[in-house]
Amino acid sequence: MNKPSRFNRFILVSIVSALLAITMLLSGCTSSQPSPVTPETTAAIQPTTTMPLQTAGSTPAITTAMPLTTTAASPTTTLAPTYTPSEKTLIVYTAASLKGVSTKLGTQFSAAYPGHSAVFNLDGTQALKTQVENGAYADVFISASNTYTNTLKGEGYFINSTVKPLTTNYLIVILPSDNPGKILTLADLAKSGVKIAMEDKSVPAGTATYAVLANLAKSTYNQDWNTSVFKNVVTYETSEPGVATKVSLGEVDAGFVYESTFTAAPKDTYLAITIPKADNYLQTYTIGVLKQTRSTGAAQEFEDFMLSGAGQQMLKDYGFRPVS
Amino acid sequence: MTHWFLQPEKSRRTLAVIGAGFLIILVTLYLALPVAALFFRITPELFFSSLSDPEVQSALGLSLVTSIISLAIVILVGTPFAYVHSRITYPGKMIVDTLIDLPLVLPPAVAGVALLVLYGRVGFIGRYLNLFGITLAFTTVAVIMAQIFVASPFYLRQAKSLFEQMDPAYEHTARTLGASPMRIFATITIPLTASGLVSGAVMTFGRALGEFGATIMFAGNLPGVSQTMPLAVYVGMEGNFIVGITISILLVLISFAIMIAVRFLASREVPLA
Amino acid sequence: MLEADLHKQLRDFPLNVHLLVKPGEILVLMGENGSGKSTVLNSIAGLLSPDTGSIRLEGTLLFNSENATDMPVEDRNIGYVLQNPAVFPHITVRENIAYGLKARYKPKDLVHSRVNHWLRVMDIEGLGGVKAGNLSGGQKQKVALARALAIEPGLLMLDEPFTALDTESIQSVQEAVRTCVSDLQIPCILVMHSVADALVIGDRVYLLNRGVNRWEGRPSDMPGAGMQLST
Repeated sequence: MNKPSRFNRFILVSIVSALLAITMLLSGCTSSQPSPVTPETTAAIQPTTTMPLQTAGSTPAITTAMPLTTTAASPTTTLAPTYTPSEKTLIVYTAASLKGVSTKLGTQFSAAYPGHSAVFNLDGTQALKTQVENGAYADVFISASNTYTNTLKGEGYFINSTVKPLTTNYLIVILPSDNPGKILTLADLAKSGVKIAMEDKSVPAGTATYAVLANLAKSTYNQDWNTSVFKNVVTYETSEPGVATKVSLGEVDAGFVYESTFTAAPKDTYLAITIPKADNYLQTYTIGVLKQTRSTGAAQEFEDFMLSGAGQQMLKDYGFRPVS
Repeated sequence: MTHWFLQPEKSRRTLAVIGAGFLIILVTLYLALPVAALFFRITPELFFSSLSDPEVQSALGLSLVTSIISLAIVILVGTPFAYVHSRITYPGKMIVDTLIDLPLVLPPAVAGVALLVLYGRVGFIGRYLNLFGITLAFTTVAVIMAQIFVASPFYLRQAKSLFEQMDPAYEHTARTLGASPMRIFATITIPLTASGLVSGAVMTFGRALGEFGATIMFAGNLPGVSQTMPLAVYVGMEGNFIVGITISILLVLISFAIMIAVRFLASREVPLA
Repeated sequence: MLEADLHKQLRDFPLNVHLLVKPGEILVLMGENGSGKSTVLNSIAGLLSPDTGSIRLEGTLLFNSENATDMPVEDRNIGYVLQNPAVFPHITVRENIAYGLKARYKPKDLVHSRVNHWLRVMDIEGLGGVKAGNLSGGQKQKVALARALAIEPGLLMLDEPFTALDTESIQSVQEAVRTCVSDLQIPCILVMHSVADALVIGDRVYLLNRGVNRWEGRPSDMPGAGMQLST
């Protein structure tokens, strides 16, 4: 039987292209590394201070938010976005609650350290942790949970000496601006028919919420209240901004989020009910440089920037609290 | 006898065989290895013990129940619809035709947002339903609505195409013999398209079972109410990853069962004389 | 007696046909592809509606454009075997033949005896329990014929019944048609393109060309008889 030569050519072309494809795949995975260049000596530039933003003077009980721009929370990503690492661009895995402030941080960082920039991957800390553990590349990791930070430290992902507390945040209950559930106090959260959104327990804000509710049940209300509140939960979101979105859409009557989310939201987006400090849970965010970073110097600069007066002020402007 | 590489025909043939074999192996491994990896990630003991985990059972039960209900609705409403759509021309038919395909290309998350904006408590329709005390968002009904939205094209397209391609002679003959349209539909149309319809139904079931984006958007994530298996996998992988892997394996097994069912049905085609 | 007066605008030309078929008579309708033959049959059956005209069968008015009479297909009681004989492949021969009777809710014993009768007449008694999809072309044609005749129609119409058959089957089906039509004394219209077959089975030939009758008369008097009409 004659093998037509066209068939042969086809086979040959297929083999060659398959080999090419494999080569490209392999080269993509182990990307050609730029040889680690000694970081340019950073001139000790004084970052231009004063972002002219009003500080939130949030009063207890029901309040409206202060005028700051926030982008509406979008659904959290499930995949680690792929960035091309370069010594000039840092990849910062950041807890999702820093959504609002991250843009400003990025701009100011670049202004303070010309030639450097930071790209933020915002997601629930639990999601980011999973991504890093499964090989995702990042230079700096900002975590909303000490527990997760310690796990990553134990697993050897951090340069442990760089792990430092960054900022803190209390929880608060937010309501849609028209208060459809007619909620005036925390007790009302247990009313039948109220719809509550909170984070899943794997999310740092979720763990905090569980703790807050337990505290409130013990100190002020009772176990029945706690049970009724959980009965009213209609969704366990996979990130903190997810809860905020559900509240801002008016689809739920109340949600547990960080104070910073409320403070930084545009005026009249939410009403809020504060949680007494004694019962509240102070979430401590940590920042650290990851061992796998290829830009140790720049990463350290970013951390320094975040811990510096300028970085801390920006966080404060967006409703975060300083480390005690 | 000269060596094989000096005989051009023989060497070409061998090369061709190697090349073809290589391609086949490449594609097979690419598809099979990730799935196989799931099974190797946990031990059988862990798998079977987590099957009794309430989270796993609730997700499994919820997924199966909602997918079956979604499928039933799609079949009951979709079959007559596809039949009418294939038999008559009406103004705007082309638009309807395009709409049937829309959920196939629309990202599921977008579908979820759309459903929320329409049927949510403050949605365009939802606000009126809310007046009557009817809630759709964040309920199991929302799960079913989301599943129907994304999965129905699989059935509708299949049914439509089957009805269109069926030789009209069968139905015409039946009419001349005195059969009413209902009788024709039940005794002729459906039996002759049955195996095609069933494979469309099976695909629809699979898609409904795997729905994630629209569900989490419109129905939320609440164990026992809206936390279907795909959502449980997602949440599980970020917290309790044993549960995540277990449910992933369950989904793989169900998917395999679905595929085998489709193949079996496709091979039993009724000969259209 | 069938009297049909049909006018319908087809794609390329208007169809203008006037037919008269007596009981027990086989009229062969001949013409090139696209001359309107199937349209004629479909109009008489009711699957299509003429633009204007009237159709009367044995005193019953099936269609009249003037007073908007248009009897539905299901009620016309016409035996119509289409070009695709369309035996229902998923049911048995018996069930096929019984289909029209069951659709009219005839009593069980009547159905049973009629089916047996037609199995005998068509000489396919052994095939009763066979799934119709498994039959040969000639067998299917016979089943389709039996099925159409089982309802005791007032008119029998066959569209190209012999095209897909071998010589032996053609002969036996032709026999069956001729016998049944004369026994039942019903008019019969056969659409064909084979002049040879027309000579054998037809009582009269009606030549259709571009929607209009070119010639009508006895098969043996046909112009160019002995030549195959082009299809």
